Amino acid sequence: MTGLIRSELRKAFTTRIGWGMPLAQFLLAALFVGIAGAFMLFVAVPGPTGGEGAPMGNSLEPTVLARTLYTGGMQVGYLLSLVLGILSMGSEYRHKTLTATFLSAPRRGRVIAAKVVALTIVVVVNGLAHLAGALVTGGALLLAADKAVFPEAGDLLGVLARMLLVFVLWGLMGLGLGVLIPNQVAALFVGVAFAFLIEPLLGVFIGMVDALADVARFFPSQASMAALSLYEGMDSATVEQAGGNPDQLTWWVAALVLLGYAAMMTVVGWVLTQRRDVG
Amino acid sequence: MTDVAQHEGTGISVRGLTKTFGTLRAVDDLTFDIRPGRVTGFLGPNGAGKTTTLRMLLGLVRPTAGEALIGGHRYADLPRPLNVVGSALEATGFHPGRSGRDHLRVLAATHGIPDSRVDQLLELVGIPAAARKRAGAYSMGMRQRLGLAAGLLGDPGVLLLDEPANGLDPEGIRWMRGFLRHLAAEEGRTIVVSSHLLAEVEQTVDDVIIIANGRLVRQGTIEELHGEQTVLVRTADAAALAAALERAGLTAQPSPEHGPGALQVEGADGDLARVGDVALAAGQPVHELRALRTDLERMFLELTESPEHRNRNLQETT
Repeated sequence: MTGLIRSELRKAFTTRIGWGMPLAQFLLAALFVGIAGAFMLFVAVPGPTGGEGAPMGNSLEPTVLARTLYTGGMQVGYLLSLVLGILSMGSEYRHKTLTATFLSAPRRGRVIAAKVVALTIVVVVNGLAHLAGALVTGGALLLAADKAVFPEAGDLLGVLARMLLVFVLWGLMGLGLGVLIPNQVAALFVGVAFAFLIEPLLGVFIGMVDALADVARFFPSQASMAALSLYEGMDSATVEQAGGNPDQLTWWVAALVLLGYAAMMTVVGWVLTQRRDVG
Repeated sequence: MTDVAQHEGTGISVRGLTKTFGTLRAVDDLTFDIRPGRVTGFLGPNGAGKTTTLRMLLGLVRPTAGEALIGGHRYADLPRPLNVVGSALEATGFHPGRSGRDHLRVLAATHGIPDSRVDQLLELVGIPAAARKRAGAYSMGMRQRLGLAAGLLGDPGVLLLDEPANGLDPEGIRWMRGFLRHLAAEEGRTIVVSSHLLAEVEQTVDDVIIIANGRLVRQGTIEELHGEQTVLVRTADAAALAAALERAGLTAQPSPEHGPGALQVEGADGDLARVGDVALAAGQPVHELRALRTDLERMFLELTESPEHRNRNLQETT
């Protein structure tokens, strides 16, 4: 089994995407956190009564501010993790390397298991690059705005660790999707379109119907935000102003929901891989 | 003393193997054995089901019925398959952005095969210089060689090669033939080479299995396939010589395509002296006398294109 995992890790790190993706994670996290941070810390928002107003960050607790800032690139982070998961299997179909893979490891369940382990490692490496980018720009902006850079370290580290977990779970959803749709380009299109557009929009529409608003909380994107306790410590008005649902799931319930999606997609991938002919 | 590894013989047995794709019976109740330590040509026109059969043998395609065993085991049940069976299949791909060496290292990792073995094989198949370049830039010939190196990674006793000469230049084909002969003769491996061209493997194989439309057409040694050799004799008075040969217990047929006065003689089993002696005794001058090589390629076409075996892929739809 360790041999199969080593084989999968070699696959992941012997093509350009193996090193290009962490670089993209670093740069995009830095960019998104930079934009969000600049807005929250330096752009004055007029208050409800009009007048001068102040940057939004001024009204937030230091912990909440740091948490919001450092997770500002979370969406692009889980999206790229989804892509990594799709590529793990999609690239084997696209380049017909699945034949060689199954010839060297004909017990396909073990191949999927090795892919799950290797993908977890790959996504964590990418997630660490993402965190580095977020911490560098986020930290610099907080410093420049004379705010606390790392308040309540324990709580903040927990949130960042949970962000890595969310990335891994999105990666596993991608792995299943890559098997479900063997055409890699189609899988990437469907995956990104779903995660970036369809699912969030559906969440918003459903959120407007009171009877269904609770359902939207279980959607992957809203569960991801809840898993990071993103709105914890914010008042409902601010959350709604940012377009969020203040009535989030508890972080660990949200994490379990995501785990459920990841497990479901992995099982789909496992079953289809067992049955499918490789021609 | 040589330290060339001798492989104990592992045979292959295929029993009632069938695969249907929708209404198409790609492989239809195929039964044959491949003898250990020999080179077997697995022949048939394009679309005959060769690749599907090999893929079922390797556990890549699930048979609709029947079974294919290697040394008595299903491929998927082999604990370390690369050490038993090596294969180079036609549609095996390489990630265009991964180097040939890394492609092999990915496969080697599954069996704990060291990088030194990878480099040794790249040397053996003759592409050490390209080993660290992206496989996307490889020529067809280099891909074939890389595929062969992948098949040999685990030093297997059985080697399955799907159309190994496809896309090779004449120099590459000569190299491939010599390489296969070396693997078979000096190292005692069981080798199966599939091809849609009999001539391509004729000089290399000991045994032949011919399939058409997923069904077995013929199986035997290459000598059996050659059959009895006929003799070509050319003389001034063909009718007179034919009569003399008939009296000597041979059959002679006029063969105008070999020139005026040419006869094809059967029953002599390629014995030129016997035909020459008959001609001398009959007082007929011999203008030409030679063994007529059976045209295996033509026979192959006849076997695979006879009405019941005519290529279903080429048939007009009604």
